[in-house]
Amino acid sequence: MTVDQVGIANLPNQRFKIVSKEGATFTLMVAGESGLGKSTFVNTLFQSTLKTPVDNKARYKRGIHATVEIEVTRAELEERNFKIRLNIIDTPGFGDNVNNKDSWQPIVDFIDDQHDSMMKQEQQPARGDKKDLRVHACLYFIRPTGHSLKPLDIEVMKKLGTRCNLIPIIAKADTLAQKEMNEFKSRIRQVIEAQDIRIYTPPIELDDQASSDHAKSLIESMPFSVIGSGEDEIEVAPGQFVKGRQYPWGIAEVENEDHCDFKKLRSLLLRTNMLDLILSTQELHYESYRTLKLESAETGSKRSRRLHNPKFKEEEEALKKYFTEQVKAEELRFKQWEQNIVTERHRLNKDLEEVQATIKDLEEQVKRIQLGKK
Amino acid sequence: MATEHSAHASKESLGITSAPLSEKPAPAREVKVIRRKLNGYVGFANLPKQWHRKSIRRGFNLNVMVVGESGLGKSTLMNTLFNRNLYSASSAAIPATEKPSAVEIESLSADIEENGVRLHLTIIDTPGFGDAINNTDSWTSIVSDINNRFDTYLEAESKVTRNTIADTRVHALIYFIEPTGHSLKPLDITFMKQVHGKVNLVPVIAKSDTMTEEEIVEFKQRINDDIITHNINIFKPAQFENDDDDTILSTQDLIAKIPFAVVGSTTAVTTADDRQVRGRSYPWGVIEVDNEEHCDFVRLRDLLVRNFLEELRERTGNVLYENYRTEKLKKMGIDQDNSVFREFDPNLKQEEEKVLHEAKLAKMEAEMKTVFQQKVSEKEKKLQMSESELFARHKEMKDKLLKQVKVLEEKKSQLEKSKTTTGDGSLQPAQKTRKGFLR
Ligand SMILES: Nc1nc2c(ncn2[C@@H]2O[C@H](COP(=O)(O)OP(=O)(O)OP(=O)(O)O)[C@@H](O)[C@H]2O)c(=O)[nH]1
Ligand SMILES: Nc1nc2c(ncn2[C@@H]2O[C@H](COP(=O)(O)OP(=O)(O)OP(=O)(O)O)[C@@H](O)[C@H]2O)c(=O)[nH]1
Ligand SMILES: [Mg+2]
Ligand SMILES: [Mg+2]
Repeated sequence: MTVDQVGIANLPNQRFKIVSKEGATFTLMVAGESGLGKSTFVNTLFQSTLKTPVDNKARYKRGIHATVEIEVTRAELEERNFKIRLNIIDTPGFGDNVNNKDSWQPIVDFIDDQHDSMMKQEQQPARGDKKDLRVHACLYFIRPTGHSLKPLDIEVMKKLGTRCNLIPIIAKADTLAQKEMNEFKSRIRQVIEAQDIRIYTPPIELDDQASSDHAKSLIESMPFSVIGSGEDEIEVAPGQFVKGRQYPWGIAEVENEDHCDFKKLRSLLLRTNMLDLILSTQELHYESYRTLKLESAETGSKRSRRLHNPKFKEEEEALKKYFTEQVKAEELRFKQWEQNIVTERHRLNKDLEEVQATIKDLEEQVKRIQLGKK
Repeated sequence: MATEHSAHASKESLGITSAPLSEKPAPAREVKVIRRKLNGYVGFANLPKQWHRKSIRRGFNLNVMVVGESGLGKSTLMNTLFNRNLYSASSAAIPATEKPSAVEIESLSADIEENGVRLHLTIIDTPGFGDAINNTDSWTSIVSDINNRFDTYLEAESKVTRNTIADTRVHALIYFIEPTGHSLKPLDITFMKQVHGKVNLVPVIAKSDTMTEEEIVEFKQRINDDIITHNINIFKPAQFENDDDDTILSTQDLIAKIPFAVVGSTTAVTTADDRQVRGRSYPWGVIEVDNEEHCDFVRLRDLLVRNFLEELRERTGNVLYENYRTEKLKKMGIDQDNSVFREFDPNLKQEEEKVLHEAKLAKMEAEMKTVFQQKVSEKEKKLQMSESELFARHKEMKDKLLKQVKVLEEKKSQLEKSKTTTGDGSLQPAQKTRKGFLR
């Protein structure tokens, strides 16, 4: 007797269908110093102008007051009938100041705030319409110096790695020669290891050869080197176009694996590991934030909100200055007052001295009279 | 050329919605969303495939509760559905008289695998339902079991550490209707109304081989009428516009056949044309369980497993459990705070920070002012004190000195007087006079 299957084998297809129908929400953060091509990269990755790059004049104008301001770009993209709600968290101008101490704090706060908000939403009795901006992946752009990671990079990456899936990236890969790139990469890897920086690692599924080989090749390429290019493609042969940057000496191609790791990074972000990024954010990063928060709430400690706006600092300074001046003015008044008292004391002493002189004089006179009588 | 083309095409299909940003920040700002259909392949469309793989790795689970009067073939049907002997032979019916009046809840689990896909199945059986003479309370233990399962989940999701939450909630409740051919019994209606807000309710006509085709059609009609008149919510799979035509048709067929008329049997019988099938053999013929012409068994299985298992689970988690939780928390006195559901808005955040900052400034100013004023008045007091002390001391000294002056002047004038009038011996009376003057 042959009996039909129960239908369990079809269950993954149901999942597939439900996800296809619902689409997905994906939140990508780009962080790193200004001008490393973060906005350009986002556009290259999604093949559409989502971010208008800041022109250099505007960049210069921001000048020394450059704030790390969080910018959220929301997009609904569709390909092959699949919809994705994409949130790009851009952090322009990071590290522009002379003193960049704490300049990363707003970025770190943003990630924490999203976790915090999710916790608060989850705790409500009715919670149908949750707003979720938890960062699924944070691309950290490293300046292609050819040296090593800067102390600021290390500090920021440490903070980011414990909060979200951190993916380090070497920006503007077209500025480093092959050998330089390899050396740069291995130095960065050494620093990441020595400094115990947590970066996202694709899981290796040992029971699946193809998938584990792919994961290994991704891991070996980290940190990914990328080249970003504008929307215009370059015609390399009649009717044949590539994305890249045209130089007199050749074309640095975005999607050429010999030129940079763009394709590997794209695979990790979208084609092969997007789900793992989403799930690990929920199950690892969010859960550990939540546990920590609940535990610290039990012991009563509370994270006080730090404010970073330099204008706020200025106002505080102004207030302090105002009081310092008031104090100075009062001090002057008191000094004068004290001076007056001293003068007065002098005057009064003199006055007494005069009387004393009169007394002396009188005593003399009396004495003289008495003597004269004898 | 390709560039031009794609740029042009994407502009055509743009539909960028940029909500007009009002001059003044309104409390509920509209969020600007860029909408675009991509021409090339970026790769995020691969996500459903990633889910497909992931779901195989993680496996599936299903908790089915079966309720119905004794002997309606509940155990047999479950065995037939999952094609295995879930119930051990020993669990045969105990004589009715010895049965406790309350309904017992029994749960049994099995791990089933097909083509590398694993399903962890749990059957929650409720023997004893409807057995008592007075069945007013027969559903209470079932309802409280369903609630307890929700409570367990609620507790698990509220814990400080919650790695993986085991889902023991009831994903589907199969309610067995006796094939009377009349209509629903009062107990059926009462029971279904007790649970229809808490579970995906799947009513089935039990042992439908005891009814003719015509009878079944009429019986189904009457049951559906009853369901409508009594406002009972039963589970109906959702239909989607972008499903392919075949899927739409088969889903429509499925819905049209509700409540399913089922037959259960795990025994192989031989048909007239010599096929070995699962079914029941009668002198007048063989009823084949797996034959869609004979009964709705396959449709029930499609609904429970093949096509809608995930939908049953999603609805349990997203709708039924959420409703239960909302009500429970509100009853516990937890107030809803809708302000936490707002969209992230950097401006709003800045405004919030400004408020915080201003509060901080005000506090700083107040503190500094207090300290300042205190210090100033302390100093003022000190200076005033030393001033008045100075004057007081001066006055005291001066008075003393002036007294001396007076005494001396007196003495002097006395002496001068006595010098001119008397002479040497007049010293004594002069002293006397002085004393008198002082008094
Ligand atoms: N050589 C080279 N230049 C690039 C690359 N990607 C972007 N650029 C150029 O770098 C400049 C800055 O690019 P943006 O994308 O605006 O940089 P950003 O990191 O977003 O800058 P901020 O928003 O100020 O933080 C632009 O002139 C780009 O054309 C690249 O891969 N290689
Ligand atoms: N005619 C007919 N008999 C059935 C069918 N399914 C089961 N039976 C028979 O009905 C009897 C009771 O079946 P069970 O599966 O033990 O019924 P149950 O609902 O589990 O009974 P309790 O566990 O006592 O509540 C058995 O003799 C079965 O062979 C059916 O579809 N048609
Ligand atoms: Mg930018
Ligand atoms: Mg039974």
